[in-house]
Amino acid sequence: MQDKIFRIILLLSALVIPIVGVGIIASLISDSSGAFETFGFWNFLFSDDWTTKAGSESYGALPFITGTLLTTFLALIICIPFSLPVALFVGEYFRGRKIATILSTVTDLLAGIPSIIYGLWGFYALRPIFMHLNLSPQGSGILTAAFVLAIMIVPYAASLSAEFFKMVPSDLKEGAYAMGATQAEVIRRVVFPMAGSGVFSAYVLAIGRALGETMAVTMLIGNTNQMPDTLRTTGNTMASIIANQFGEADGLKLSSLIAIGLLLFLITAFINLIGKILIRKAQHV
Amino acid sequence: MIKDKNLVARIAKNKLVYILVCVLSGLTAIPLLAILGEVLIKGWSQLGWSFLTEATPNAYKALMAMEAGEAVPGGIANGIVGTFLMLLMASIVAIPVGVLCGICLSEYRKNWFAIIVSYLTDLLQGTPSIIIGIITYIWVVVPMKGYSAFAGSVALFIMMLPLIIRSTEETMKILPATLKEAGLALGGSYWRVMLQVMLPSAFGSIFTGILLAISRVVGETAPLMFTALGAAAISWNVARPMSAVPLLIWEFFNDPNLQNLIWGASLFLLTFVLCLNLLAKRIAKKWKI
Amino acid sequence: MKKKYLSFLAAACALVMTACGGQKSSDGSNGVELTGAGATFPLPFYTMTFDNYGETSADKVSYGGIGSGGGVRNLKDGIVDFAGSDAYLSDEEMAELKPVVHIPTCMGAVVLAYNLPDVQQLNLSGDVIADIFAGKITRWDDERLKKLNEGVALPSQEIIPVFRSDGSGTTFIFSDYLSKVSADWKATYGAGKTVDFPVGQAAKGNPGVAGIVRQTPGSIGYIGSEYAFAQKIPYASVMNKKGELITPSTESISAAAGDIPQDTRCSITDPDMSGAYPISCFTWLIIYKDQNYSDRTKAQAQATVNLLKYMLSPEVQKSTEVVHYAPLPQKAIDLSLENLKQVTYNGEPLQ
Repeated sequence: MQDKIFRIILLLSALVIPIVGVGIIASLISDSSGAFETFGFWNFLFSDDWTTKAGSESYGALPFITGTLLTTFLALIICIPFSLPVALFVGEYFRGRKIATILSTVTDLLAGIPSIIYGLWGFYALRPIFMHLNLSPQGSGILTAAFVLAIMIVPYAASLSAEFFKMVPSDLKEGAYAMGATQAEVIRRVVFPMAGSGVFSAYVLAIGRALGETMAVTMLIGNTNQMPDTLRTTGNTMASIIANQFGEADGLKLSSLIAIGLLLFLITAFINLIGKILIRKAQHV
Repeated sequence: MIKDKNLVARIAKNKLVYILVCVLSGLTAIPLLAILGEVLIKGWSQLGWSFLTEATPNAYKALMAMEAGEAVPGGIANGIVGTFLMLLMASIVAIPVGVLCGICLSEYRKNWFAIIVSYLTDLLQGTPSIIIGIITYIWVVVPMKGYSAFAGSVALFIMMLPLIIRSTEETMKILPATLKEAGLALGGSYWRVMLQVMLPSAFGSIFTGILLAISRVVGETAPLMFTALGAAAISWNVARPMSAVPLLIWEFFNDPNLQNLIWGASLFLLTFVLCLNLLAKRIAKKWKI
Repeated sequence: MKKKYLSFLAAACALVMTACGGQKSSDGSNGVELTGAGATFPLPFYTMTFDNYGETSADKVSYGGIGSGGGVRNLKDGIVDFAGSDAYLSDEEMAELKPVVHIPTCMGAVVLAYNLPDVQQLNLSGDVIADIFAGKITRWDDERLKKLNEGVALPSQEIIPVFRSDGSGTTFIFSDYLSKVSADWKATYGAGKTVDFPVGQAAKGNPGVAGIVRQTPGSIGYIGSEYAFAQKIPYASVMNKKGELITPSTESISAAAGDIPQDTRCSITDPDMSGAYPISCFTWLIIYKDQNYSDRTKAQAQATVNLLKYMLSPEVQKSTEVVHYAPLPQKAIDLSLENLKQVTYNGEPLQ
């Protein structure tokens, strides 16, 4: 009897997740319908016109989708040359040694720093440097945001990749060493091919993280609603436009912002799903 | 002496890769040191007893102090109270529900329902925090006709839940099946074995997971902006707007009159989060299964 | 364990319920708690006045500076007792709401704060400001700027306009002014609480813009005067309709008040008066004409009216200058007191 009650409680608690998950999708869809009905789904997606002027209101998500994709992929490119060495350092060169533990603690702590503190540091410490180097005239913009974003995703990419480097069977590597290969060659010919798909999935998940990052980006991207034409200009990401304007939007603008939220949700869900599937595959090799 | 040119090149290349990996890895530590240094140096002088026990000054007092060139009075007590109150409310619900859900997922791992729930948990974990903010606004703020600490804690609850579920599930999965079988063989009822044998053996890792979940959400700003909103006075009323430390940092960032308080607040938040992280690591090491 | 779980839940519910209950009981006979939200522009003035009011009266007032747009939305949702706004409601906005009353509380100005370390005094005119914010004048050493600032060494540097990322009354006043002085501006961007500026960078709230301007050499932004005055950020003199270069000050702001209509909804930007700073404004508190909404009590309604009367009293008006605003002209006070008499609760007039 008690067992039965216990099992029911277990199932009930597990029900919370589907309720919340489906509820999120349902609420986002129903509250964004106004925007999609007015502008049409594809039009909303591919219009770069964000006009709030009363009477000629028109909302399109393209500048923000572009901003999100630009910052994310730029961050990914900046992140790789740092996260890959860290992963090799922890998972291959110094595997199991004290120095590797220290480095992985450092990256773990880096992952723990709240987004808003990254934003502050970016604003007060990095921005003046960017202005001084004349990388962008106002210091804020796509480039600055992407740079800080890159630092934020290094820990995720690195710690997950390191796990996959560790999983490479040592008899394979020993075989290569016995044939006279150097460590660099072993990494290139044995470790990378073996761990490749896992490392790839680690970066996919890192992208998933970067897509939805809000506070640090909002503080650094400059918050303008134009299509970003170069990396030096200011812009807005999907997350930052919501952070900036949700508080006092109403009517059509509110539903357009929720529609952007829905798109962001779908994009991150898609990327995360791919990442998880790849990881499951990689783990079962 | 090695004569073979090819071999020399290969050895040199090997060395180069080695050095490159070490140098680039070392560079990764710089942001952490830079951030810690910046926050520590600028924040240390602001931190003090009154900073932790007084509420944020209102716009008028801050303006007057700024104009007179005095230090801005007050502190972040309203944020500290709000952060802890909202965390407490979120944890009280999220921990039992999350742990039970985690147990459920590990017990029925072949069941189609569990697989769906498992995927949805991943989905929820990857959802950007700003979306959680929008959702809680739609679900709680609009029907309740106002911003409230309660809404803030609902947002934090939604963020904590998947983290706790995941860590519980992972831990329960690696517990030896023999443990459960032994318990059942001794005549223990199923729920007794689960809660009094399995759960205590997994306690260390689950506790670590909970600490990490708390450290993840304590610094969240975006979901609180549209839910708890923030308030200038110390408030215990969960039906009214309430502040939180990350919300205060955002407020200070946007108000030059209050900028003097920003680094102290950041130092407080950073210390809290990093201590939780290190504590979690400690516990994980000690209670390793 | 199961019991424990249930008791946890019960405790959580109890916590929520007691907290909700606690709020109701505090709304008892001795004083009510009023909530307002809106404009950040008069925030220092409001917090000062509401603090003082809390000390002399049994009623407590809390005010959230969430922007004029947010304040009006909260009033529409019926979750506040009054909204603060730097922009009066347009006829269309009024049509969406139950009847409201606008009560001006003080006068202020929008100033152009800039960050040019070597320039002590900057002169601007309306059309030049419009072209800077429209991205047509992009450098500080532009010919038209040089002409206005003879003898000043303007740096050869890019101009970075800074504007508001959130909906705001300050933006409305600023864009309203630009629409009056520049036909191009009016056609392309118009006046509104949010304007789609084509260049530069945005920040949240008046303080946020002030913060960015302070941190960014070569920038220029529009902010509420009191922030610039208190922060000692340099601000520009602006040429008014009479062709005089006017530095914003309490006197030049007061000089801008001209004719005021019965409902006090009027724009005083670009006035045709000598000595007037051209980007001056009123700021309003907006309440419903009938105070019975969202289960509000008559005591709350009366407290709201009392508070507004207090805001119009000579002592409060005199105190505006402490925080760098300008007092209302007598005509605005007289009209407002008259308008307040029409505020009712359930159709019954309040004192």
